[in-house]
Amino acid sequence: MKLTPQEVKIQERLKPGVVTLDGFLGKDKRHYNEIIAEDLEVLKGLAKTKEEIADRLDYLTKKALPYDEDGVVIDEIYDLQYVTARGRIISPFMDRTFWPKGIITLKNLQNGVEIRWTPLSIHLIRRYGFFQGKGATFRTEPSDLIKAIF
Amino acid sequence: MMLIIINNVLTFVGLSGVLSTIIVIADYFLANYGDCKIDINGKREITVKGGSSLLTSLAEKDIFVSSACGGRGTCGLCKVKGIDGCGPLLPTEKPYMSPKELEEGIRLSCQVKVKRDLKIEIPESIFSIRKYKSVVTAIEDYTYDIKRIEFKLIEPNEITFKAGQYVQLESKRYGKVRQPVMRAYSVSSNPSHTDYIELIIRKVPEGIMTTFTHDHLKEKDEISFTGPFGDFYIRDTGTDMFFVAGGSGMAPFKGMLEELNEKKSKRRIVFFFGARTTKDLFLLEGMKRFEEEMHDFKFIPILSHPEPNDGWDGLTGYIPPYFEEHLRDPKNTEGYLCGNPGLLNASEKRMRELGIEDVYYDSFG
Amino acid sequence: MEINSFVIFIAAIFTSNILLTNFLGMCSYLSISKDMEASAGLGMAVFFVLTFTSGLNYLAYHYILVPLNLVYLQYIIFIIVIAAFVQLLELVIERFSPVLYYSLGIFLPLITVNCAIFGISLFMIIRNYTFIQSIAFGAGSGLGWLLAILALAGIRGKVREKMLPKGMNNAAISLIITGIMALAFIGFSGVVIIQ
Repeated sequence: MKLTPQEVKIQERLKPGVVTLDGFLGKDKRHYNEIIAEDLEVLKGLAKTKEEIADRLDYLTKKALPYDEDGVVIDEIYDLQYVTARGRIISPFMDRTFWPKGIITLKNLQNGVEIRWTPLSIHLIRRYGFFQGKGATFRTEPSDLIKAIF
Repeated sequence: MMLIIINNVLTFVGLSGVLSTIIVIADYFLANYGDCKIDINGKREITVKGGSSLLTSLAEKDIFVSSACGGRGTCGLCKVKGIDGCGPLLPTEKPYMSPKELEEGIRLSCQVKVKRDLKIEIPESIFSIRKYKSVVTAIEDYTYDIKRIEFKLIEPNEITFKAGQYVQLESKRYGKVRQPVMRAYSVSSNPSHTDYIELIIRKVPEGIMTTFTHDHLKEKDEISFTGPFGDFYIRDTGTDMFFVAGGSGMAPFKGMLEELNEKKSKRRIVFFFGARTTKDLFLLEGMKRFEEEMHDFKFIPILSHPEPNDGWDGLTGYIPPYFEEHLRDPKNTEGYLCGNPGLLNASEKRMRELGIEDVYYDSFG
Repeated sequence: MEINSFVIFIAAIFTSNILLTNFLGMCSYLSISKDMEASAGLGMAVFFVLTFTSGLNYLAYHYILVPLNLVYLQYIIFIIVIAAFVQLLELVIERFSPVLYYSLGIFLPLITVNCAIFGISLFMIIRNYTFIQSIAFGAGSGLGWLLAILALAGIRGKVREKMLPKGMNNAAISLIITGIMALAFIGFSGVVIIQ
């Protein structure tokens, strides 16, 4: 597959040590376009759009924010915790957006599925459908994600 | 034939040579302004080679007047006050000046050429921002994830800052990290110690910088930082003060308290400090000492998730509900907040409800 | 050539305006003419440089190139002389008058490569002018160039660009205006002939 210079640059920025310590690709050796394509295929089968997922994550993030690390249970199902660090992180997709540095962990008390995400991952899912590479620190399998938050 | 060629070449070279010589001589006499001294705020004097713009001359000495257009005179941001030697106001500057600025002698530093000794004034905050080289002299564990790190200044060897301001630390390459990164940390040392700074850094999961400071940085390592930045510092008003912090948000307040203590401040201060468990508490000894030494200081640690075997008999739960009982007069109280956005938002909201108008914060978000 | 220098001077302004009859020096003419003030500055700079370089190039030609039998080197020598003079002028202005530098000096590098300047030097040689005639020719052409750019800037100020069809903005409309101006200036050409 032929890549634009922009796509080559983004792929570089997804690697460890550029934007984040461990990068966004994990053990995945594929180009991010392929990762996105595969995950969007999975989403189709699960009958959810990337926007629906992002909206849901946004909602939970907003609910979790006031409670910081102390955590909170929302809607009696979602046990949330929000760990923040100072500063902002730049989107690796070179879209000139900056996102708060935080890690939100969620445990679904009904089915026990645990996931975690960051404000940046919501952006990457919403705009690009990028759930990150297999084995990446903040990779969430779309199937797990849907089980946990819907 | 040969003669003609030589004749040609010689004439050509001769004429060009003469003209170039004239220009070189003119350049030497006309464009050579020698070394010029720039007196900044009457406090610091820098010596630069004359002939270039004030903006670039200052930048050469690491004084960065903000400029968006890079010195082409189109953004009008690089304003400084010219006191002496800046020459007449140029037509290229005029459109950016208000009548008041014209009267005060404000100039665009990208248009002013340094041709002789100058005297200028620039905002103190810009003037003091510099890049410092330092060496790590102490690393100490405060908790399982919070460290105190001390940096002794090498070059320049002195820093002026206000307690509460922050610096941007620059990491080195390590492991997979191929590019240095910059991250902001509040200075936690007393501003009266000008030869070193101290930072309190909490390890961030997957953080490029904090992985560096916690796992790779050793004593005697050289590291540079830029600063000081920020407008989070104590307003000199004499009112009561509420400090609110969580985790490494302790840092600016430690510096503030050390300074207030040294200056024998008579202000009444209540410091609410939030943590999850006793494992997350630190600097308790120091706070106890401040309570004893200072005029009217109270340190109130509040745990959100004390564990049963902690033996914690202090306050628990959220911080904001505790404000009211320590409040004397909301009109005469200032709030200072540093920590997570959740804590900050809730605290600010509660303070506003209680009628506290002056709330200053240093948000992590 | 037995033409009064003053006639040459006037003719260079009107009847054989360097810009409108020879269409020389168009690039800076088109790009700067958007703004009246900048046009005046550039026009003044052209006037200045033309006056001096025509004199200097006359001297260089008649006292260096002709005696040495190197007339064919005139092209390259003229350019060198112009470049050096502009450089020198810029240094002098910058040193002694910052205000003048900012109204005039910033345009100097622009006109080093202006073909009108070079063209004038070549014309005066072809037409066999004397030293005084050359200077009058240079100064007149400079003033003519100034006149032309000011006229264009004035007209462009009156043209409401929004009314123009897309694609007619900027250079296109400027060229049309210049063409009409050139037609008008042809009216002068019967008055005196200097060629």
